[in-house]
Order: sequence, then structure tokens, then C-alpha cells
Amino acid sequence: MDILKSINIVIFWYISPGFRELFKTPSPFGIKVNKQPSISNNTIENPEKWVDLYGDYLYKYAFYRVYEAPVAEDLVQETFLAALHSIKDFQHRSSIKTWLTSILKHKIIDHFRKKSKEQQIDDIELHTNKLDDLFDRNGQWKIKPAQWNADPQKLYGQKEFMEILHKCLSELPGRQASAFILREIAGESTKEICKILDISTSNSWVLLHRARMFLRRCLEIKWFTHEDDRE
Amino acid sequence: MFNCKKVTYLVSESLDRKLPLYQRMGMRIHLMMCKFCSRYKEQLFFLRKTARLLSESGEDSAPSIQLSSEAGKRIKESMARFLQKHQ
Repeated sequence: MDILKSINIVIFWYISPGFRELFKTPSPFGIKVNKQPSISNNTIENPEKWVDLYGDYLYKYAFYRVYEAPVAEDLVQETFLAALHSIKDFQHRSSIKTWLTSILKHKIIDHFRKKSKEQQIDDIELHTNKLDDLFDRNGQWKIKPAQWNADPQKLYGQKEFMEILHKCLSELPGRQASAFILREIAGESTKEICKILDISTSNSWVLLHRARMFLRRCLEIKWFTHEDDRE
Repeated sequence: MFNCKKVTYLVSESLDRKLPLYQRMGMRIHLMMCKFCSRYKEQLFFLRKTARLLSESGEDSAPSIQLSSEAGKRIKESMARFLQKHQ
């Protein structure tokens, strides 16, 4: 009986991926028994290197969505820890960077979800005064939109413009910022945004409208010179 | 007939959903006649395109934004603790 038991153990061990990894033998059945991350891949084997390799990229990614350095740092840390936790699930169909970014994306959405719950004051109704100044009592433009004549492709990446763009984004109040970032930068649908922020559909339209109105005004003041329109 | 304030709202909403026919028509007629609201519409398109660019390339924009060395160190330590615990 004992002999049978030992033979069993040996066979089991022989076909196990751990053994093959140790002695570099091919799968005895010619098929992959267990799809493990390839150990030959340097970076997946050395998570210590992740911070140096992907830390800045992920941090920037997070920062330009949350606009608070400590929050962005925490999100990056959570991302790396979550990645370590699920390292076995890593599929080599994507790069490590893509994989880490997709984890970070989920962390960012969670962050918006939590933040929205914490926001006691309903900023859907607040922060309207400044924008209402743009129109007169009859709802006609009082401060008229200027002609921008700008190509996003050309402006994008220009240091001064990017600084102003980020400044304007960081000045967006509470849920307006969340809604805009989720919609236009993260590319979520309004349906998804309503779920994340726990708001009604019409509230999501109001938030997005206010955010866009604020941003275009902010860019116009800070970047585009206001041309006089007296026609 | 919609006024400019209403039309700016509709222009924004049309970026998020298909407007009901009468609103869509009202908005279009207003836009044909009002150059300021047309500019407004163009500006929202500009915002959308710029935001798309922002989402596509986090890397090349603003090289000054990077993980501070203290934060990097802290993260590395927390990862090391995690690995110790789970090995």
C-alpha cells in the first residue's frame, strides 16, 4: 500500500507545473496543464521593479484624474498591491503596463464612487452663480463665446496650454469634476456615471453641462484671448 | 423658440444622448441662426477632443508630474511587506 501511495505522489508531482518549472521538463501530456505566467518574463518575476518602471506613468495617469497628489499616490500603491495579489491572473495577452493600468482604472472609479458618497453638500445645485452671469435675464449671451480657431492636436502637448488645461480641470467643483472626468477622460457612459456617483440621469446631464460650461469659460479666460464681438 | 441658455444645455446634453426630435430640431434651428451658440458647440467639441487626447497619452504630457521618491519608497516597502507575508 505504501509503495502505491509513493508512486501516486511521484506521478502527481511529475505532472505538476511546479516540477516542470523546477526541472524545465515539458508537460508529459503535451498540453498545458496549468496556464501560469511565464517565469522567463523579467518584470512579472520582479515586482520590486514595477515602481521604477511604471510608477511615474501610473501616478501621472491617476493624478490627471483625481488632481490630489496624496490620493494619486494611494491609488498607485493600491494598484501595485492588488496586482501582487492577483499576479496569477495576469494574462500575457496584454503588457504588464496595460494590465496595471486597467487595475488602476478600477481603483479610480472606486475612488469617485466613495468620494461621491462623502459629498454631503449637493453641488448639483450649487456653483451655478458664476455660470448664470454669462447670460442675461432673457437667456441671451451676456459674455459671448469667442472664436477659438484652435486645433486640439496642435495645442495638446504644449506645456503652457497643458498647465492651464489641468489648472481648469482641477478647479472644477466636486461632482462636476467627477462627472466630466468619468465621461470625457475615462470614457464612461452616462448610465455608468449615474451608478458610480449614485445620481439620477438628469442630474448627470446637469453636472456635465455645468462642468463643460465652466471649463470652456476657464480656457477662454486663461488661454484664448477674448475677441470683441460687437456685430 | 429656445433661448441661448437653453440651447447651451441641449448642446451639452446632445453629447451624452440622442435628444428628442423637437429639441433636436429646435437646437439646430437656433444654431443656424446664432453664431455664439455655434461657437459654444465648437468649444464643447474642442473640450471633448482634448479630453480624448488626455486619456490616450498620459505619458508625454507634463513630464514634471511624477511619483515622489518618498512615495515610491513607501510603495516599495508596502509591496515588500506584502510579498513577505504571502511567500
